[in-house]
Amino acid sequence: MFPADRDRLQPGFVLHRRDYSDSSLLLEVFTGEHGRLPLLAKGAKRGRAPSAALLQPFTPLLLAWRGRGEVQTLVRVEPAGRPVALVGDALYCGFYVNELLTRLLGRQDPHERLFLFYQMVLQELAASRDLDTPLRRFELRLLAELGYAVELDRDAEQGLPVQPHLYYVYSHERGLLPALSPQGDGAVSGATLQCLSRGEALSGSQAREARRLLRALLAPYLGDRPLRSRALFAARPRRPAGT
Amino acid sequence: MSNPGLLNELVAALRCLPGVGPKSAQRMAFHLLQRDRDAGRHLARVMAEAMERIGRCRQCRTLSEHALCATCASPKRDASLLCVVEQPSDIAAIEQATDYRGLYFVLGGRLSPLDGIGPEELHLDLLRHRLHEGGVSEAILAISPTVEGSATAHYITGIAEGSPVRITRIAHGVPLGGELELVDGGTLAHAFAGRTHL
Ligand SMILES: [Zn+2]
Repeated sequence: MFPADRDRLQPGFVLHRRDYSDSSLLLEVFTGEHGRLPLLAKGAKRGRAPSAALLQPFTPLLLAWRGRGEVQTLVRVEPAGRPVALVGDALYCGFYVNELLTRLLGRQDPHERLFLFYQMVLQELAASRDLDTPLRRFELRLLAELGYAVELDRDAEQGLPVQPHLYYVYSHERGLLPALSPQGDGAVSGATLQCLSRGEALSGSQAREARRLLRALLAPYLGDRPLRSRALFAARPRRPAGT
Repeated sequence: MSNPGLLNELVAALRCLPGVGPKSAQRMAFHLLQRDRDAGRHLARVMAEAMERIGRCRQCRTLSEHALCATCASPKRDASLLCVVEQPSDIAAIEQATDYRGLYFVLGGRLSPLDGIGPEELHLDLLRHRLHEGGVSEAILAISPTVEGSATAHYITGIAEGSPVRITRIAHGVPLGGELELVDGGTLAHAFAGRTHL
């Protein structure tokens, strides 16, 4: 007999998909229990009820798969809710989050907590006009879940709590240090750091500082290949202010 | 059994065609060699010429042997309508199925950062220029209803900003002859949001 949990449906999201053949899709899937894994969806584009429409990024799914080897085969898929309604800039941010996960997660490492954080950031991106605060929160959580947690609430030299009116720099070797000058390379205000470590909303200039800081924090793990979704976001046509 | 080299090469070459596996490639090769060498020679000639001479239309980027394709060059087409599609094959589908008489723009794909496809790969600057140079009153986006398609549509709406062009999108919904219960939730939600007055 088959083991009882064969074909057990597990919550997951499609991070990315590509055509594998005329009728099949190759998926990159993110689940809590198995982390990131590739799945082959045979016949997803054909048949009486093709699953291609369902197998899209940002749709909560229940998935079951079988097989041995690196690429296993999807055997069942059901919707686990409505697609997260990401439109416009929020959609570009969704691609960015997916690209981060595709680039930074090893395959088949369980990430139960990160899976929850992922669902939270998608919901926040869909619900809020402020895209920076949820993205920065997710990036910090991602670093921590990967084992690269950063401490942003006290300076690493003296152990003193961050002061909102002072400026700091982050060194990959030594941690958070007081900045020599506020205009210095990569200097971040204590107020921004406090917002980040408390998960509070970032104002306009803080959002820019935080974006720069997180970009520097992620850089060593991303390597030399630039993030394409970041480039797309930067190149996107902006709407005139107020619209 | 050992096949001579050239025959092997022909079979291997035929496998570049979509949906052609080793078996069917072999059948094709034997058929041409044993039964229809003239057709084979003709195929080789046309293939070689097409590969050399067919390029992209400079205006709509569809496949064309002329700098300006037949559709773009035709005075019978309505130049105030521009239909934006992903692939040249989409044009063929629209031409066969509808009585659309406007012009086209072929993107060659959709924005997909995780595949490395950005605005440059889709020649969106050329489209921006087209929308802003005047003459187009409506741009109809006939792009797949995927998340990448939706990102592409959003981007195009952005580059049309400041031009007089009205951007529309073809309706997405339940396939004709399809049964509602078999339609996925996302499609059904789209179909509901895009309902029309009767
Ligand atoms: Zn043309």
